[in-house]
Amino acid sequence: MTRLRRYARDHAVPLALLSPAVLVILLVVLLPLLFSFYTSFSNYRLIRPDSLWDWVGFRNYLRVLGDGDFWSAFGRTVLFLTVALNLEMLLGLGLALMVNRITWGQRTMRTIMMFPMMFSPILVGFQFKYLFNDTIGLVNNALQSLGLASEPIPFLVDRWLAFAAIAFAEIWMSTSIFAILILAGLFAMPKDPIEAARVDGCSNWQVFRHITLPFLMPFIYIAMTIRSLDVARAYDIVDVMTGGGPAGRTELLWTLIARTAYDDARMGRANAMAYFSILLSIFFTWFFFRKLMAARRHLGAF
Amino acid sequence: MRQLKIALFAAVASCALTLPAAAADGERFDGYTLRVKLIGGAQYEPLYTLIPQWEKAMGAKVEVISRKSHFELDREMKQDIASGNIDYCAFSSHTNFAPQYAVMNQPLDDLIAADTIAEFAPLVISHATVNGELMSLPRHSDVSNLFYVKSLYEDADNKARFKAEYGYDLAPPETWAQASDQAVFFTAPPNRYGTHFAGKDEGIAGRFYEMLVAEGGALFDDDWNPTFNSEAGVRALNWFVDLYSKKAVPAGTTNYVWDDLGLGFATGNVAFDLDWAGWAAFFNGADSKIGGNVGVALAPKGSSGKRTGWSGSHSFSITKQCDNKPAAASFITFLTGHDAQMLEARTGLLPTRVKVWDDARAEFTAKGDSFMVEVFDVWGQSMAEHAFTPPLIPEWGEIANALWPKLQAAILGDMSSQAALDEAADEVREVMEDAGYL
Repeated sequence: MTRLRRYARDHAVPLALLSPAVLVILLVVLLPLLFSFYTSFSNYRLIRPDSLWDWVGFRNYLRVLGDGDFWSAFGRTVLFLTVALNLEMLLGLGLALMVNRITWGQRTMRTIMMFPMMFSPILVGFQFKYLFNDTIGLVNNALQSLGLASEPIPFLVDRWLAFAAIAFAEIWMSTSIFAILILAGLFAMPKDPIEAARVDGCSNWQVFRHITLPFLMPFIYIAMTIRSLDVARAYDIVDVMTGGGPAGRTELLWTLIARTAYDDARMGRANAMAYFSILLSIFFTWFFFRKLMAARRHLGAF
Repeated sequence: MRQLKIALFAAVASCALTLPAAAADGERFDGYTLRVKLIGGAQYEPLYTLIPQWEKAMGAKVEVISRKSHFELDREMKQDIASGNIDYCAFSSHTNFAPQYAVMNQPLDDLIAADTIAEFAPLVISHATVNGELMSLPRHSDVSNLFYVKSLYEDADNKARFKAEYGYDLAPPETWAQASDQAVFFTAPPNRYGTHFAGKDEGIAGRFYEMLVAEGGALFDDDWNPTFNSEAGVRALNWFVDLYSKKAVPAGTTNYVWDDLGLGFATGNVAFDLDWAGWAAFFNGADSKIGGNVGVALAPKGSSGKRTGWSGSHSFSITKQCDNKPAAASFITFLTGHDAQMLEARTGLLPTRVKVWDDARAEFTAKGDSFMVEVFDVWGQSMAEHAFTPPLIPEWGEIANALWPKLQAAILGDMSSQAALDEAADEVREVMEDAGYL
C-alpha cells in the first residue's frame, strides 16, 4: 500500500496527465461494454424501457445455446470467414506479385487496384444485388444472350450460389487490402538472399517457396488479422444483397443479431448472441497473432 | 408532368384559400418551431410540399429532423425510446406498428375535435385506436387488390386454350385457387411469369396472414396461443409453395419486396399482381410498359369465402414529450385534411376521409380517367368490406420476423409446410411468453 502511495506521489504529474485519457476510455469503451453485458442477463426490449430491470439470469444465454438458427449462422460465419480470407489471400498474393513485376505505370496500377476499397459496402451490395438478380440481372442476361443458360439462374436464392454471391462481393471489395499489404512486404524485401539463391541455381518456384513466401508471411498474417475482424462482423453487403435470406440460407451472425436487436427490439437476447460472437473474433485474432509470432521467429526477427 | 404541376398548383392554391379560415377560429403559434420526424420516399414526399402553407398560416416553423423509409424510421424511434431522447413533437406512424410506440405516443382524443375525427372512415379510425385511445390520425390507407394485364385476358387464343385445359372461362380470378390455375397457365419463363409475391420480411408474413384469414384460420386463439399451424395455415402456405414449385413465379421472388414487385409488374413480365393502390397511376401511365393495358379486380377469396385484405394506414402521431401539443395537433390535422388527402389521392393513395373518396372519384370522372375511377371503386369496396389489420399489439413486428424465415423455408422446399409452421409457432409462443401474454 505504501509502495502504491509512493508510486502515485513520485509519478503524480504523468498520472494526472494520463487520467483524462484513461477516463475517456473507461467512459466510451468500458461503460457501454459493462452495460451491454448486464443487459444480456435481462429481458431488455428497446420499446419497453422498464424491462431493463427485468433480470432473467442466464435465460438469454441458455436460449442462444439451444437456438439452431443461431448456431447455423455461427457456423456459416466461420465458413464465410475461411472462404473469403483464403481466396482474398491467394488473389491478393497473385495481384501483388504481378504488380511488383510492372516496371512502367506501377503507381497508377496500385491506385486502380484500390478502387474497390473506395466504395461504401452498401453500394457494393446494391451493385452485386443488381448484377446477380434472376430476372433483370446483368449476369443472367449475359448467360442467356450467349446461349449458356436457357432459364434464369437464381443466384441469390440457391443455397450455395447465394453464399458464393455474397462471398464474391466481399472478395471483390477487399482483395486489394491483401494486395497492398503484401506489396508493401515485397518492397521491403532485401534483394541479397534472392540473388544468392539464384547464384546457387535455385529455380523460380524454389526462390518463391523458400525465400519470398516466408518473408511475406508476417504481412499476410497482419492482413488476415485485420480482415478476420472485418469479415466476422460482415453486415452491410449481406444485408443489402439477401438480408440473410432466403430461409436463413445466407444468415451471418450480425444480420441475425441486428434483426433481433432493432427489428425485434430484443436487445437483451441480441447482446447475449453478440457476446458469443465476440468469442469468434477473439479466437481468430489470437490464432493469427500466434501465427504471426511464429512466422517472425522463423525469419529470425527475435 | 405538366398535369402534375397543375394539380400541385391547384392543391396548393386551394389550401392557401382554406387555411386562413381554418386558422381564424383556432390559435396561431407565432415564432414556434415544431420539430417532426417524417416518413420519406417518392410516394410520401409530395404531401410535404404543403408544409409551408401551414407555416405561413400559423406563423410557426416546421423543422424536419428525420426523413427516412418506414423501417429505418421504426428503428430510429425504438432507439429514441430506449435512450429517452424524444425531443420532437410529431412523427409519421403506421397503425400496425403504433402499439410499439405506446410509451411515447400521446393519445389524441382530447387534442383533436370530435367532429374532425367523425370526418374519417370509422373502420380506419378503429384501426388507429389502441386500447380505446386514438393513437394517430390516419393519412392514407393500404390494402391490396389485383392488377392484371388486360390484353392477356382478352386474347381469344388464350381464352380458348384456358377453357380447354381448366374447364371454365378465363376471367380475372374470383378465388385464390383460380388465381393459382391462371398463374401456371400464363407462365412462360424467362419472358413471363403468372404472378409474383413479396417473399421476405413483413411482406411475406403479411401475405401469409391474409391468406390464413381467407382460408378460415387465425394467428392466435382468444388467449394468445399461436394457432396458425392449423390445417387452414397449411392450406394458406401451400398456395405459395405450389406456385413456387411449379415455377409460376420468378425464382428470386423470395428476395422481392414492394419496389421489386411494382417495377417488375410494370415491365409486363407478370400476368397479374396483388399490389397496393399507390402503384395504380404508375402502372397505367406512360413510364410503364403496360400503360393503358391494366385491369383491376377485387382480391380473390380463399376457401372460406372471405377475401384477402391485409390492411393498415400510414398516419401521424404526437409525442407525449411534446412542449406544444396544440401546435402539433394543428399540424397533423392539416396534413390529414381534405385538400392534403386530395393531393395524395390523385396518385392513387387511398384517402382516410369519407368525403375525399367521393371528391377524388368525381374529379377522376370529370377528367375522363375511367381507370382511376375503377381503381377507387374496387379499393373503396375493399377498404369498406374486406380490410382487416394484423393484431394491433406491439409484438406484430416480432411475430412477422419469427414467421417469415420459416415461410421461406417451406416455399423453397427446405421443409414441409406443417413443419415450418410448427417451428414458427414455437418461436411465436416464446415471443408471446416473453411479452407476458402467456
